[in-house]
Amino acid sequence: MLKYVNTDIVFQEIPDEVTLAINISNCPCHCPGCHSQYLWGDVGLPLTISALDDFVTKYGDDITCFSFMGGDADPKGVNQLAQYIHEEYPQFKVAWYSGKTVIARTVNKADFDYIKIGPYIEHLGPLKSPTTNQRMYRKTDDGTFEDITERFWRK
Amino acid sequence: MEIKNFTITKRDGTKDQFSLDKIMNAIAKAFESVQEPADLGVISKILAHLDIHNDITVEDIQNQVEESLMREGFYKVAKSFILYRQEHTEDRETLQKMQFLSEYMESVNAATGSKYDANANVEHKNIATLIGELPKSNFIRLNRRLLTDRIKKMYGKQLADEYIDMLTHHFIYKNDETSLANYCASITMYPWLINGTMEIGGNSTAPTNLKSFAGGFVNMVFMVSSMLSGACATPEFLMYMNYFIGKEWGLDYWKRADEQADLSLKKRTIDKVITDYFEQIVYTLNQPTGARNYQAVFWNIAYYDKYYFESIFGDFYFPDGSKPDWDGLSWLQKRFMKWFNNERTKTLLTFPVETMALLTDEDGNCKDKEWGEFTAEMYSEGHSFFTYMSANADSLSSCCRLRNEITDNGFSYTLGAGGVSTGSKSVLTINLNRCIQYAVNHKMPYLQYLADVIDLCHKVQLAYNENLKELQQHGMLPLFDAGYINISRQYLTIGINGLVEAAEFMGLKITPNDDYLHFVQGILGLIEKYNKQYRTKDVMFNCEMIPAENVGVKHAKWDREDGYFVPRDCYNSYFYVVEDDSLTILDKFKLHGAPYIEHLTGGSALHMNLEEHLSKEQYQKLLQVAAKEGCNYFTFNIPNTVCNECGHIDKRYLKECPVCKSKNIDYMTRIIGYLKRVSNFSQARQEEAARRFYATA
Repeated sequence: MLKYVNTDIVFQEIPDEVTLAINISNCPCHCPGCHSQYLWGDVGLPLTISALDDFVTKYGDDITCFSFMGGDADPKGVNQLAQYIHEEYPQFKVAWYSGKTVIARTVNKADFDYIKIGPYIEHLGPLKSPTTNQRMYRKTDDGTFEDITERFWRK
Repeated sequence: MEIKNFTITKRDGTKDQFSLDKIMNAIAKAFESVQEPADLGVISKILAHLDIHNDITVEDIQNQVEESLMREGFYKVAKSFILYRQEHTEDRETLQKMQFLSEYMESVNAATGSKYDANANVEHKNIATLIGELPKSNFIRLNRRLLTDRIKKMYGKQLADEYIDMLTHHFIYKNDETSLANYCASITMYPWLINGTMEIGGNSTAPTNLKSFAGGFVNMVFMVSSMLSGACATPEFLMYMNYFIGKEWGLDYWKRADEQADLSLKKRTIDKVITDYFEQIVYTLNQPTGARNYQAVFWNIAYYDKYYFESIFGDFYFPDGSKPDWDGLSWLQKRFMKWFNNERTKTLLTFPVETMALLTDEDGNCKDKEWGEFTAEMYSEGHSFFTYMSANADSLSSCCRLRNEITDNGFSYTLGAGGVSTGSKSVLTINLNRCIQYAVNHKMPYLQYLADVIDLCHKVQLAYNENLKELQQHGMLPLFDAGYINISRQYLTIGINGLVEAAEFMGLKITPNDDYLHFVQGILGLIEKYNKQYRTKDVMFNCEMIPAENVGVKHAKWDREDGYFVPRDCYNSYFYVVEDDSLTILDKFKLHGAPYIEHLTGGSALHMNLEEHLSKEQYQKLLQVAAKEGCNYFTFNIPNTVCNECGHIDKRYLKECPVCKSKNIDYMTRIIGYLKRVSNFSQARQEEAARRFYATA
């Protein structure tokens, strides 16, 4: 069962979108130097489809995108939630911030509009750093994913 | 009189041992000064009348000595004693001024050094700002006297006393008491276009070409501003400029902007000539000004989308019978914004404060798509300006915070567009945190108590208005006589401060919730009820949440000293708590949305503080959110970084200079409406700026 600790409206994480970031706990990655160690334990509220319904009621069209921050302990669970949003609320984009270097085969990438992969490695820095190991992909119109990491470096 | 071991209270509040010798000595000297003989018997007689008690003040003893001298028939001596006291009072005042002078010189900046009216709009402290500072206390005394005399005439002595009592106990605060002039105005420039500046005491005739427009405009704004204590808005600036450019190169000049326009060796293009005039006007108006205590003039301008423009200027005719040309103006507005944004990476330019006026449709989208998109584009390029969004052209701002409902969009051949002439004559602010706590502590329903305070404020404002009318009758207000400002379209403003703090005292959570909303509406609705009740065909009232640049700090300090609940060192100027990082950006739009600001007829500009710039698409979405929530007046505030070492200016909020890598950096931010260096704010305001939560978007 996926659980989330809190949410926030963010702008920098997903370019050009107004995003509801859902911070998922029980993160298995445990990157040294992690900024969100509060997400390591199995804590928080259940992240179910009814929780997603509640977010939609609360934020409506004020947001344009849902982003799952973490959830690598249960990638299939994240996939199901992404699929649910696209089916029920096609107006929203769906993004996933994963700490893994590859997305599991069992996950249908087509259910996401943005996918970020890669653990946080302190000396290489976060997405913003031009030396980062992390990558942000955006789904293009033909269904393939393009690397848009550079957008985080531009100022 | 029996001699005991008394203590007396000296003028500075300290205690001292009572000394009979000192009094005897003073009396003997008074006799000596008029060559009257005084022996011990005479002096004892005078001393016998004195009623000395413990902790008696020096003033009190001297008063008794005066009376006693007169009772014994020593009138000449008494007179001498009174004169002697007066001389010493004057000496003490001079001493105080000298002490202030030396403290001012030692202070870190002009705003911290200012005793009465700290203002970050003063860049430097020097002899000119000091000269402006010194007479402030006299102005406060004079203004209070003028006002209380008028209140006495209109409503009786009791109300005048009540006013002073409320003022000195900080239940209310009179803004801009250090100036004689009325507050801020959005002016129509039509009288200038017809008659030049003669009617307001200048010597220039009406502008006839682009060159005389640019030069004359600057002079006119300086003259107008020296007769106002606050801001001067010229909402027609670019429209008039477009008119004169059109006269120079034809109405379609903007299609040929890269054509050569002069025969000099520089071969300047039309575009270059235009931007050179921008430069001349903007740089000149950002200079410190002699007539305004070395402050720059508070210059404001407006941009319009097509529909807003048509609502306000649809019936407008220039004196030559032609109508304003929207296509040219649309180009010129964009050109000015782009130029100004770029110029701000070279120099710290505060003025003009700009407001973008946009009309929205029923779905909350910008009616004029092109201008909605351009607004988002300018924000994404890091430009800092205000946006006013509304379903109809109902308001203009006359300064960086005050919106003014406009009551008449008609056109007159002598005064121009009716809508642009508006503003606020005077602001009187209610310290809600103190008022509400006082009422609750004294077991009174707070709204009932507030009603009395609000009623008093309206009467005081009416008295102010009478004084203003008297000034006008004596020809002291040429801006009104010449038609730049229409006195009956100017508001008397009731300000509020400490609203959030009062709500916290009542145990309310400062989030979008029904209890807080009910609290806000109860108070603001009450003020509006009185605003309507006191409105006549000559006087209008509005209510604004004042930016409280220094009042917010003062109120917090005074209230804390008097034992009230004070949760922070500077009262908020928003409906949310600035340092609260649990509120999302959407929450903040909600807290400045229609239900909250409904009764705030004088406006409150939401300053959305962000740590980083957003993209055009994201700003477009937020404009929609603002329109949907009914948040009509807002700006996005991302601190700009200024390097103290190499002078580099960066639109981003950085911890180190990207050019020279120095960590000795300063920021430009809008704490209170206009963009200024943080180090120019008073000490207390700088602390607030540091605590402020910049959403890590």
